[in-house]
Amino acid sequence: MALDGNVHDASRALELGLATGLGAIGPGIGVGFIFGKTIEAVGRQPELRGQLQGLMWLGFALTEAIIFYALGMAFVAYAIA
Amino acid sequence: MTLLKVDFNPVSDFTDFVHNPYVNLPLGLDINKAVVYLWLTAAVAMGVTLFIVRRGLKLRPDGKQTAVEVVYDMCENQIARGGLPEEGMRIWFPYVATLFVFIWSMNLIGFIPLPFGERHVDVFGLSVPEFQIYAASANLSVTLALTLVTFFATHIEGIRYNGPVKYFKSWMPSGLPSPRPWGLKSPAVLVLLVLIAVIEVLSQFVRIVSLSFRLFFNMLAGHLVIAVFLGLASLLGTYFILPIGIPMGVALYLLECTLIAGLQAFIFATLSAIYIGGAIHPDH
Repeated sequence: MALDGNVHDASRALELGLATGLGAIGPGIGVGFIFGKTIEAVGRQPELRGQLQGLMWLGFALTEAIIFYALGMAFVAYAIA
Repeated sequence: MTLLKVDFNPVSDFTDFVHNPYVNLPLGLDINKAVVYLWLTAAVAMGVTLFIVRRGLKLRPDGKQTAVEVVYDMCENQIARGGLPEEGMRIWFPYVATLFVFIWSMNLIGFIPLPFGERHVDVFGLSVPEFQIYAASANLSVTLALTLVTFFATHIEGIRYNGPVKYFKSWMPSGLPSPRPWGLKSPAVLVLLVLIAVIEVLSQFVRIVSLSFRLFFNMLAGHLVIAVFLGLASLLGTYFILPIGIPMGVALYLLECTLIAGLQAFIFATLSAIYIGGAIHPDH
């Protein structure tokens, strides 16, 4: 089947969406784990809530940053393609 | 149908200004939108704090003084004490507190619509720039510069406190076999040691990338998502998407303002403190 239209731009748009979306799977699971485990830990030891919250935000930001590697590489591929 | 005819490109607000500086200067020191935003940030951050502190601190603080005290307390107890050892507090607590306040102000100013747009609109015959949201931290040069300060501070402090030999040795994890020839069991050990050394050196440089990219892409992606949702009708060419686009845009805007702007500043300052503290006391 022959493809009509602007295949080049369409593939670039697909690449950007696919790379970002696939890159979001892992960090999404990881962020969910961090919040879930923190809730669990606070449930076990409510007196440590303050310390656990600090660690939770740190872990959240470190995990969340992984999607930005995918997004950054997607933008690079989008720009040079 | 004027709305649908608007040439809406959310990315161009974050790329075009580099090529249209307000003042051209040599050596790439052009004064462009990001530089103006940085000046604005510095003025607001210093001005607000100085205004409240110089007004005279009271024993029974009012609302404004309490806010400053809460921020100071968080900088000291949450950010600095989590990473810095006691002897590093005197020099580096002001640095990480400044980082937090500066980046937070920068991110928050990024969510106030200001007349810095590239396109101009006619208002009663006056050519006024469009209002737009733009953050200086959604710019890799800004975050990379902040990251490089932390990077050099880390290694200079590490060498100053431990001496170069002890400091660079401390990059290797503890408990490894000795690399000296008479302690060597097999060539495989040597190969593994070299590999570990390469990975540890790389990880020091990956810190630059992760620290700067985290802030940069968080703010860039936040602004882009807000702009895309608010401009969805223009992008897709239909008004029927407006009931979805506008509430989503407003919700994301509120999320970014209240949570992400402060959180990213907190993370940047905390990680800077941890890196510098880890270099001062490597065995910690």
